[in-house]
Amino acid sequence: MQFVPVFIGVTLLLFAMRAIVPGDPIRMIAGEKSIPETTYRIIVERNHLDQPIYIQYGYYMGDLFHGDFGHSYQKGRDVIEIFADKFPSTASLALGAILIEIVVGISAGVISAVKKYSFIDMLLTLSTSILVSMPVFWLGMLLQSIFGIWLKNLTGGAISLPISGSGGPISAYPTFLHYILPSVTLASVSLAFTARIMRSQLLEVLSQDYIRTAYAKGLSKRDVILKHALKNAMIPVITFIGIDFGTMMSGAILTESVFSWPGVGREIYLAIIQRDWPIVMGGVVIIVIIVMTINLLIDISYALFDPRIRYGSKKAD
Amino acid sequence: MAKVLPDIFIDSNLPAYEHLLELDNLKVYFDTQDGIVKAVDGVSFTLNAGQTLGVVGESGSGKSVTAMSILGLVPMPPGRFADGDIRFKGQSLLAMKDKDMQVIRGNHIAMIFQDPLSSLNPVYRVGKQVGEGLVIHRGLTATQAVAKAVELLDMVGIPNPEQRVRDYPHQFSGGMRQRAMIAMALACEPEILIADEPTTALDVTIQAQIIELMQELQKKHGTAIIMITHDLGVVADMADNILVMYAGKPVEYGTTNQIFYSPLHPYTWGLMRSIPKRTLDNDQPLTPIKGNPPSLIDLPAGCAFSERCPYVQQHCRDEEPMMRLVSDDHYSSCFFSHDGEFLLNSPIYDTTEEVAAGALDTGTLADAGALDTGTLADTGELADADDSNYQSGGRDG
Ligand SMILES: Nc1ncnc2c1ncn2[C@@H]1O[C@H](COP(=O)(O)OP(=O)(O)OP(=O)(O)O)[C@@H](O)[C@H]1O
Ligand code: SF4
Ligand SMILES: [Mg+2]
Repeated sequence: MQFVPVFIGVTLLLFAMRAIVPGDPIRMIAGEKSIPETTYRIIVERNHLDQPIYIQYGYYMGDLFHGDFGHSYQKGRDVIEIFADKFPSTASLALGAILIEIVVGISAGVISAVKKYSFIDMLLTLSTSILVSMPVFWLGMLLQSIFGIWLKNLTGGAISLPISGSGGPISAYPTFLHYILPSVTLASVSLAFTARIMRSQLLEVLSQDYIRTAYAKGLSKRDVILKHALKNAMIPVITFIGIDFGTMMSGAILTESVFSWPGVGREIYLAIIQRDWPIVMGGVVIIVIIVMTINLLIDISYALFDPRIRYGSKKAD
Repeated sequence: MAKVLPDIFIDSNLPAYEHLLELDNLKVYFDTQDGIVKAVDGVSFTLNAGQTLGVVGESGSGKSVTAMSILGLVPMPPGRFADGDIRFKGQSLLAMKDKDMQVIRGNHIAMIFQDPLSSLNPVYRVGKQVGEGLVIHRGLTATQAVAKAVELLDMVGIPNPEQRVRDYPHQFSGGMRQRAMIAMALACEPEILIADEPTTALDVTIQAQIIELMQELQKKHGTAIIMITHDLGVVADMADNILVMYAGKPVEYGTTNQIFYSPLHPYTWGLMRSIPKRTLDNDQPLTPIKGNPPSLIDLPAGCAFSERCPYVQQHCRDEEPMMRLVSDDHYSSCFFSHDGEFLLNSPIYDTTEEVAAGALDTGTLADAGALDTGTLADTGELADADDSNYQSGGRDG
């Protein structure tokens, strides 16, 4: 497993960054006000901030080993607790986005490939090119102004979509509506990539000899594509979507910030601004764990789709 | 449950037909950026039940496109049928709707290909793929089809078929894959099996086994076979008739005995001289045909073979020779095929057996004599010598 070296590398890098980035995190807790000297000393001691940085690293890794992700400077809560709070928001947003990515991205790619060089193919290719080159935060803001403001004004408030938060008892909208704009925004770029990969993979597979065999057997075009081509073409697409899902699960900093989404990404973003290092560190460590777990799952599903990986070659004649 | 396509060839009152399969001046062109590729340019032949036709020619001579045309598998565009017709049991396949073609494919006419590994879907078990035709054409359930696939794998000589049916293609060896392809093709007991260089990707001993298997199954099921190869030796032993193609055009067509004992066309002679021979008492050296086939976009004027023909005359460059009847059911497109003196240039072969043995370098093809019976004897009356459109007798169906 490459887990251990990656893990050590990431934590070392974070410690190095912490040493470089200016600003005293403890002073920032208080903001404008000054902080009592005794309180300051307690925080310094509890976090071993008076020790050399490599000793601090030793303490941190030791704690991690015991499942202790540290304690936020600012919030006075355990890091793991904070993320346990935020993670469901991120995970449900990621799930919504990945569903859109799978359904829209794959169908667009398949339609493009099957109707190669047709008007619809060109239209889809053009749309994906635009999506890929559009900055995520800009798309988010565009959607907000169209569906949250322009449409609302146009219809006199009858039709609109919520532009922030993940719903809850105080929201004027049903919860699922809150997911639409953020998940579309989060899905946008990867959806375009999914469509492109799907198109090129399917075209590649459709030119293979075993597709000719399938036609020669008497299968209809539809069955050839659905039964013989798709499963082969899906293999690289699954890898892409899987990796993408890992990234989304670890928090979408831009999307969550634009939509004030109470998720992991936004939490880390705020922690960076406030130099709340335990949260940043803990967040990144959790992300590493999630991404590596998902990569492992991708490898497993890969084998599920491709028997050449599952079974070795046993030849005989 | 899979839907079963209605079979237009069962319970339908077809008019009486003369031949099982008939290609009539078939022309398949590809419109490409560089120009029109005349991949198949005026090919005609007939095939009767249980017969074998060998189609021989160098790479790029249009053999595969001819075969793919029969199943309607030529990509269109860029391809198009420029002229001619293909008739199966008297019905034009070119005029047929795709739904009806699906009934023909794999059910009445099946095909196997050169590279059995790439021709099998890597992500499905061999059994599923072998039985799939039965699901489409016979309405079997997936489980029934796999059970039938075990029988089929057994029939083509794969050991432990009960276990092997659950293997994936990459777990099979090259020879076993081609056996599986044959099993797949024969699943629905088609009337015609088209084999497009089925042994080219295999090593020599396996080649002989595969050919032997095909002959054995042909005898058992009465399947007609179109055997495509660039190697005359491969068809020497199994074909009733042979069509020699060059640059998309037919150049010689006749019974196997005619092609081997009295070949008419200089290109056929060239092919024969390049067959490796085992018997060393022959003083003719192994001589490959000089040069390369011409570009199909830019054929030389006159005879397509003129640039490589050792016997070329000025006349050959001025006028294009057409297929002409030379003797009973024996056609050639060389201007000089009627000239007895010219024909003395032909390499003489003693037996087809020798050629087959030399090409395949194995003793398994012992029954080469089988084709000697009948094919020459029962040729019918002389067909009209028609320039553009030659017809064959062979064994009338
Ligand atoms: N889809 C296509 N588009 C354009 N040209 C094509 C296409 N398919 C085949 N051709 C051309 O048709 C010609 C005949 O090809 P074909 O595959 O029938 O040759 P072949 O006799 O089977 O050769 P080989 O022994 O190499 O298999 C070639 O020149 C080829 O380039
Ligand atoms: S027609 Fe002329 S060029 Fe063509 S094969 Fe005969 S002799 Fe050779
Ligand atoms: Mg070919």
